[in-house]
Amino acid sequence: MVFCFTRLNRISKANWEAFTLPIFVSCGISHPGIFKPMREIKVKGLSSLHNLASDGESHVQRSTSLVEEETGSLSVVQSTPEIEKKYVHRVYDAIAPHFSSTRFAKWPKVATFLNSLPSGSLVLDAGCGNGKYLGFNPDCTFVGCDISEPLIKICADRGHEVLVADAVNLPYRTGFGDAAISIAVLHHLSTENRRKKAIDELVRVVKKGGLVLITVWAVEQEDQLLVTKWTPLSQKYVEEWIGPGSPRVRSPSSITLESIPETENNSKEHEKDTESPGHKFGGTVLLTSKDDSSVQNQQEYFVPWHLPYHRAEVSGASACALANGLAKKDDKKGAVVYNRYYHVFSEGELERLVSGMKNAVVVDRFFDKSNWCIILQKTL
Amino acid sequence: MRLFTHNMLSSNIKGVANGFPLRIEVEQVLEKQVDFNPDFLKNLFPKLEWKALVDAARTMGYAELPEEADSLMLESEEFLRKFHHALLELHLEEGALVCPETGRKFPVNKGIPNMLLHEDEVPDLACNQVLCPTICERYGKVD
Repeated sequence: MVFCFTRLNRISKANWEAFTLPIFVSCGISHPGIFKPMREIKVKGLSSLHNLASDGESHVQRSTSLVEEETGSLSVVQSTPEIEKKYVHRVYDAIAPHFSSTRFAKWPKVATFLNSLPSGSLVLDAGCGNGKYLGFNPDCTFVGCDISEPLIKICADRGHEVLVADAVNLPYRTGFGDAAISIAVLHHLSTENRRKKAIDELVRVVKKGGLVLITVWAVEQEDQLLVTKWTPLSQKYVEEWIGPGSPRVRSPSSITLESIPETENNSKEHEKDTESPGHKFGGTVLLTSKDDSSVQNQQEYFVPWHLPYHRAEVSGASACALANGLAKKDDKKGAVVYNRYYHVFSEGELERLVSGMKNAVVVDRFFDKSNWCIILQKTL
Repeated sequence: MRLFTHNMLSSNIKGVANGFPLRIEVEQVLEKQVDFNPDFLKNLFPKLEWKALVDAARTMGYAELPEEADSLMLESEEFLRKFHHALLELHLEEGALVCPETGRKFPVNKGIPNMLLHEDEVPDLACNQVLCPTICERYGKVD
């Protein structure tokens, strides 16, 4: 059983890697042929699983679905999904100085948390961005990390102790910190397992009794007009290439790659029609198959960032992004428009993610300025 | 990078059993004054691997720390001052942090370590008890 698991695990990993890459080679350009290579790879992957397994077919099928469901998705935890590389990492790298200039307001709840920590505490900020909260409490010492080198450089220029690192895999010894914060970070992780792993890491790196504050964007946005400016991603599409889902083969009509809309079209449609945000894309995004989740369960989005022309470099990240189709020009607004990937959280979702944790308990939970927030305490 | 950060950093490359401490390769060290905060020093002391701090400080050109230390020494202002200097005022500005098991170098530029792993270094999540107890129950622990 263990042998079978190991082999399937390796194969599953390879499948997922082969599975995810081709899709994003031409992401942002919708053409009908795109789903075909994906489907072929998927079928090929399954058949090679069957060929290699030495057990009876029914056993393999059952094991395959269990293992792919669990380890297939688990193995994707650690290698960064393409959607995050393209629509989180590269975007923040390109917009870093402009982004940083807009990040200055200190949220009162985060401020309260930081000010409540004992003097001399070591606070770890995972996903610190431009370092807004580093040094906030002068009696504490902060170490920040972020996956974006340009953002970290901004922090370093301000004299903060920072490093470039991945929140899913923190390069810290276990139990060293007194407290940790993750402010508006986890919603950029594209699978539930990666989000869980990031939470595990936050708890791992603090001492027993240490506190962890997590804030994430909520589905339940206070400003509904803002949501109309976002591009919803079909849930089925998300599950196909990044999500933990069963590996059942879908019929072509339900494969939703066509549903990735062109940014330019969407922004135009957004301006035209603000009355029914859910239906402006002609049904391809949200209503791809009958058993699809309805609009109210929409949690996956591209959220635009408008980088003014005078802020975008003449050559460099923005020129590259435009050439690759990663960003669009909006001459009317005089800006390069990037899309950032978000998985916004529904009420209770953070609690659900932590409910299985054996080494932490929830000590506080609240909704603050369209963010779901939770405070954990490490127990073991 | 200051040495209190170095004392916390560990190589998390796939297959590495113990990635701490990272060996320091020095190209440029800067000394930057920091306000003396005994609270922080006393709070941090029990977390530290003292030998790693002593070795790291020496690599950075500071050999004043005692080879061994205990919490009683925190009562001594002289000791605290040396401790403070090594922990907070020595900066590795340019150089590298080296994984003790694989030899992989994590660059440090402008005082910023880059600890990002390459795709082939990222650990497989085959087994993480915290995350997948169900799998372990069904299939047994996997290496």
